[in-house]
Amino acid sequence: MSIVALNNIRKVYDQKVAVEGLTLRIEPGTMFGLLGPNGSGKTSSIRMMIGMTVPDSGSVELFGQPFTRDNLKRVGYLPEERGLYKKMNVLDQLVFLGQLHKLSAATARRRSLEWMDRMEITEAIPKKTEDLSKGMQQKIQFIAALLHEPDLIIMDEPFSGLDPVNGKLLQDTLLDLRKAGKAILFSTHRMDQAEKMCDEIALIHRGKLVLEGSMREVKREYPRNRVVIDFEGDDRFLGHSSIEHVDNFGGHAEIRLWTVDGVEPDAQPLLIDAVARGTRISRFEVMEPTLEEIFIEVVGGSIDA
Amino acid sequence: MHNVWLIAKREYLERIKTKAFMIATILIPLLMGGFVFGSAILMKKTKSTSHLVVVTRDTQLAMDLKDELAKDSEMTVDTMAPGENVRGVLDDELKDHTIDGYMWITPAKTSEGRPSIEYKPRSKADIATSSSLQEALRTVLVRERLEHQGMVAHDVDAMMAPVKIDTTSSNGNENTSFAVAYVLFFLMYMVVMLYGMNVARSIIEEKTSRVFEVLLATIRPEEMLAGKILGVGSVGITQVLIWMMAALILAATPMAAAMGTGSLAFSITFVQAIFFVLYFIFGFLLYSSMAAALGAMTNSEQELQQLNMFLVIPLAFCMLMIGVVVNNPNGTLSRVVSLIPFCSPLLMNFRISLNRPPAWEIGLSFVLMSVTIYGVLWLASRIYRVGILMYGKKPTLPEILRWVKYS
Repeated sequence: MSIVALNNIRKVYDQKVAVEGLTLRIEPGTMFGLLGPNGSGKTSSIRMMIGMTVPDSGSVELFGQPFTRDNLKRVGYLPEERGLYKKMNVLDQLVFLGQLHKLSAATARRRSLEWMDRMEITEAIPKKTEDLSKGMQQKIQFIAALLHEPDLIIMDEPFSGLDPVNGKLLQDTLLDLRKAGKAILFSTHRMDQAEKMCDEIALIHRGKLVLEGSMREVKREYPRNRVVIDFEGDDRFLGHSSIEHVDNFGGHAEIRLWTVDGVEPDAQPLLIDAVARGTRISRFEVMEPTLEEIFIEVVGGSIDA
Repeated sequence: MHNVWLIAKREYLERIKTKAFMIATILIPLLMGGFVFGSAILMKKTKSTSHLVVVTRDTQLAMDLKDELAKDSEMTVDTMAPGENVRGVLDDELKDHTIDGYMWITPAKTSEGRPSIEYKPRSKADIATSSSLQEALRTVLVRERLEHQGMVAHDVDAMMAPVKIDTTSSNGNENTSFAVAYVLFFLMYMVVMLYGMNVARSIIEEKTSRVFEVLLATIRPEEMLAGKILGVGSVGITQVLIWMMAALILAATPMAAAMGTGSLAFSITFVQAIFFVLYFIFGFLLYSSMAAALGAMTNSEQELQQLNMFLVIPLAFCMLMIGVVVNNPNGTLSRVVSLIPFCSPLLMNFRISLNRPPAWEIGLSFVLMSVTIYGVLWLASRIYRVGILMYGKKPTLPEILRWVKYS
C-alpha cells in the first residue's frame, strides 16, 4: 500500500500551469525527495497532497484511500513559509497546534516538552515566539508537525535557514523517523542534501516530472564519466582528447569525459597521459555524476536556485 | 465543531489578556461619554474667570453689570469713575497682566440714546469673556430701559428669565435622555468598527505570518473563519457586557443623580442595555464577515486601509441619518433607514432609546439582519477560502468574482 499516490494530477492557476500530469508514489519507510528549482511546482504539489488545494484533474490518495480530510490527522506538515503566532507563548502554541491534531491538551503538553528536550531548545519553553531566533522558531515548527506522531511527514524545504549544527540535528531526527517506519517526503532545491538522505527522488521542472525512481536506479542510468584529480606539476594532460569539459582549480580538477551512446568511457588513457608527463597524482577518482549534474543535464540548462 | 471551538478559544484568550483590551474597555466609554457630555457642557457656555474693570460715571449701570456678570461667570469686576490718569493706569495694568481688560462706558447724552461702549481686552482671543460681557450688557441695558418705561423690577426679571425645555422622552422612561442615546450610538459605532477591523487584522496577521498554512493542513477554511469570528466576537461581547453592567450599576447609584440634571442626566435602562448587546452581536456578525472578506483579499494593513471604506461608508451613512431620526424618530424615512440591515444596529437601536418603535419593526430588523448576515457570510467564506492562499498582487474585481464561483 502506498502512503501517498498522486495520479496524473494537474493544477492551473489562472493562466499559469503549476503542475502537469504528475504521478508518483511514496511507500512506507522511505525518505522521498521532491526536487526541482524554485517555482517548479513543488509547493503546489504538496498543497494538493494535503488537500489545501484541489487538483483540477487527477486524483490524490493517502494511505491507500481516496483523499479525505479525516486522514490528515495522520499527516505532519511543515510549510515552506514558517508560520507561528508571534505573540503567543511557545508551549501554549505547541499545545494549541497539537489539539488541532486531535490530541488532548495533556498529551500535547507532555510530547511538546519531550520534543523540546530532544531538539535542545528547553530554554525556549517560557518565551514568546517572537523572542526566539529564526532557527529556534523553525525547530518549534518542526516539533509542531511531529507532535501527533504522523505516519506521513511532509516537509517543504526543511533545511533552508538552518545552520550546519541544527541541519545535522534535523537530518538525524528525520533518519530516525524513517527507521521507525514513517514515510517522509521533503522538498528541496539542494541536490547534495537529497543525494545524501533520500531513497527515492522525483525531479520536477516547470510542473512536469522529469526524473523519478530510487536514487540507485537514477544514478545507474547515467555513465560514470566524472573524474576528480588531485595533482602536482605539469597540467598539460588536461588537454587530453577524451576530456569533454574541465574545471581546473590548480592542483584540483573536475573532469567530464566524452560519452558515446551511453557507454561508460575509459579513463585509463587520461591517467597514462598524466603519468607520462611526469605529473604527480595524489588522487584519481572515477565517479558517477552528482544529482545536480544529472538535473542540469536533464533540464538542459540553468537552475535558478 | 471541535476545531472551531479551539480556534475561537485561542483567539479569545489571547485577546482578552492584552493590554489593548483593558485600555479599550476603560477608555472607549470615557471617550464617548466625554465627547457627548463634553460637547453638551461646552454648548452651555464656558465660564470666564477674567479680571475686568468697568469705568463709568453711571454707578447704577456699573453695579447692575457687576451683578449680572456674577450670575453666570466667575469674573472679578471692579468699578471706577473716569478721571485724569485712569486710562493710562489701566493700560499699564493691562500690560503687566494685573487685569484682563477694561470697559469704558460713556452714558448717553439723551435718555433715548444708547451709551457708547469701548472694550479693551488684553487678548482678543478670549471669546468667552467678551461674549459673557456682551450678553450681560444687553440684559442690563434692556432691563434699565424697561424700568425706565415704568415696568416693575419683579416683572422685568420674570420676563427675562431663561426658558427651560424638558428633554426627557414622553413615553415613560423619564430617566432616558438624549445624551445617553447619543453615547450608545457612538459606542455602537466604535465597537462594530473596532471589532470588525480586528477580525480583518487578525486574518492579515495569520496571512503574513503564514500561520494559516499550518492550520489549513488540519482544518477547513470555513472552520478557521467561523472560529475567528466567534473568538473576536466573544471578546467584543465581553467588553460590551462589562460596559453595560457598569452603566446599569452606576445608574442605580445616587452618583448618577449627582452627575447632572435635565438633559445631562446619565442613566441607562435595562431594556437599552439588552438591545445594545443584541444589536452589537448582529452588527458585529454583519460587519466582521465583510471585514473577513476584505482581510483575505489583502496582504497588509496598508492595503486594508484602502479597502476599509466598505465598512466606513455604511456606518457614515448612519451618522448622516442621525439628524433625520432625531427630528422624527417615527417618520417614514427614519423607519426605512433603520430597517436597512447595515444601519439597524445603529439606527434602530438609537430609535429604541429615543422613542420605542413598534415591536414588529424591531423584529423585522432582526429578521432582515439575519438574512443579510447569512448572505454576506456565504460570500465572505468563499472569498476567504481562495484569498487566503493568494499573495502578492491585489486581486481585481473579476478575479474576486471568479473566486466566489469556485466550488
